Amino acid sequence: MSSDLNTPTDPTHAGSDWDSDLFVDGADWESLPDAVEDDVMTINMGPQHPSTHGVLRLVLDLEGEKVLKVKPIIGYLHTGIEKNAEFRTWVQGTTFFTRMDYLAPLHNELAYCLGVEKLLGIEAPERAEAIRLILTEFNRIASHLVWLATGGMEVGAVNLMVYGFREREHILDLFESQSGLRMNHAYIRPGGLAQDVTDDFVERCEALLDYLPTRLREYEQLLSKNPIWNSRLRGVGTIDADTCLEYGITGPVLRAAGLGHDLRKTDPYCNVEQYEFDVPVHSDGDSWARYEVRLEEMRQSMRLIRQVLDKLPSSGPVMVQDKQIAWPSQQALGADGIGNSPDYIKHIMGESMEALINHFKLVTQGFTVPAGQVYSAVESPRGELGYNIVSTGTNRPYRVHVREPSFVNLQASDVMSAGHSVSDVIVVIASLDPVMGGVDR
Amino acid sequence: MATHDELVARITDAFPGVGHTVTFDELTFHLGPDQIVDVLRFCKDDTVVAAELLTDVSGVHWPAGVDVIERQPSTTGWPDHVVSREQGVIDVLYVLRSLRNGHRIRLAVRVTDVDPVVPTSLTVYPNAANFHEREVHDMFGVVFSGHPDLTRILMPEDWIGHPHRKDYPLGGVDIPYKNDKHIPPPNERDLRVVTDSHGEVVTASSDAEEVVS
Repeated sequence: MSSDLNTPTDPTHAGSDWDSDLFVDGADWESLPDAVEDDVMTINMGPQHPSTHGVLRLVLDLEGEKVLKVKPIIGYLHTGIEKNAEFRTWVQGTTFFTRMDYLAPLHNELAYCLGVEKLLGIEAPERAEAIRLILTEFNRIASHLVWLATGGMEVGAVNLMVYGFREREHILDLFESQSGLRMNHAYIRPGGLAQDVTDDFVERCEALLDYLPTRLREYEQLLSKNPIWNSRLRGVGTIDADTCLEYGITGPVLRAAGLGHDLRKTDPYCNVEQYEFDVPVHSDGDSWARYEVRLEEMRQSMRLIRQVLDKLPSSGPVMVQDKQIAWPSQQALGADGIGNSPDYIKHIMGESMEALINHFKLVTQGFTVPAGQVYSAVESPRGELGYNIVSTGTNRPYRVHVREPSFVNLQASDVMSAGHSVSDVIVVIASLDPVMGGVDR
Repeated sequence: MATHDELVARITDAFPGVGHTVTFDELTFHLGPDQIVDVLRFCKDDTVVAAELLTDVSGVHWPAGVDVIERQPSTTGWPDHVVSREQGVIDVLYVLRSLRNGHRIRLAVRVTDVDPVVPTSLTVYPNAANFHEREVHDMFGVVFSGHPDLTRILMPEDWIGHPHRKDYPLGGVDIPYKNDKHIPPPNERDLRVVTDSHGEVVTASSDAEEVVS
């Protein structure tokens, strides 16, 4: 490797303090100041550490066991999804963005599709909106269950790891039955849904709603009075609402600090304003408060889903009727378990040349979207998930930028960990609940 | 909740030179890099705008040349609006959110892509913009002057070029990972010439020659 590559090309690098030189590749370790001289020890944690939620590297400045500074170093999972999407059609974008925050794929799809629909000036049919809301709320429960599972494991409650993932599996079964995939569904599409739900959708949802509350109550009983769980969480990673705003933090962390901000209330989407649910708020702002807020959020999501299920129209379109936007292919269950609708094949192959042309153009080129710029945001399990979408009127996005809540929230790991011991850093990161797929995108 | 008109009046009264557009029911203010810190501070402190939260900072690159902007989805293939610019520009977009008044505004700062310098917003929002500005710097080469730790955040430190620029080559760039087996890039997309953030030509690394010889 030639030496000029190691020299930063940017003049702003010159003269900055040492931690500017810490980067993804880790090859700069020898250049750090001698830790012995000033009694401050610099410790590297990650990127391969079971407690760092994937590939997050933390550089800790320690004085003894006390943490002085935490510097998160990210980028290990960067996959260039935003750039990739600029070279794909608008419909294909869903398959990319669903892979960002892999614990909340449906929220990513929803935020992106709401943005594209805003640019197109269309609205998804009522039934599609209701199904979107049901599935994203189930997704919120699934995501919080993973937080409970991994967070529990990280503070020593290893049995929760098994329980949380077990319950989540039931929710993923529901997703699989509707979209065909457990994760990364690409089920929500601009204009509606990829396909209608199955006949047993409502039954499946209700079975889940009967099953989950009992389990949640069990975990709460298991944890809430557990002295170890209490002492590990209470008073750890305290952050107040003002500091949250200063760091741009939204979502459960902000609500646990006493500010009940929820985009479902302030900027409702998918007709969520028609239903009753509470936004849980806690005043303590520590990891314990975040645990209680997330538990209550799962219950409120279930309350919300129950109301949507009651109002769900029994039939109706799940995609806009505009033939220039709606995906033309029709699926029907054949004898082999999968297949195209014979009626539709007959229509495009035997009856209408124009239908065939339309099908071909939509599938190969996609639809065009009017020029402009929109910002659309939904309340993901981790906070405000925003999509800034720029179109120049072609069949591909000109630029899509994602405001990822995990990315923003991770900035506060320093202020939340400072003064605590090393083991509490784990609790702080766990209670922030970052998903590295979303952080690095 | 403040309406768009109230917000426009409030901000253009204080800063007469600031333009604004309303598209898709979203309010965007257009300003220069010299004004951004003052406008941000005003937006944060003002009781009507009351933007406590700096939600997002992102960038959009519009390279020099001819841009075809199609205002309407058309099937004719004829563009109805063409923008031609001699100098490429980068729009740095700030999304501000007011929790008290429940609105969201966008500030757009336009700088040239040859010398993109914007004062950091960390002086107004002390911590929120840290990662965002590093990301825009990483992806677009925008220099946020005054940022204490303006380094690459998603790409490796020794990466050449800024991937989200539209003139960033899609093939033919050596992957500068150390100690990695060199896989020659496909010839047909081998552009071999990369410009850095200052428009200077930086040829891709000399690895290729070493491996070939």
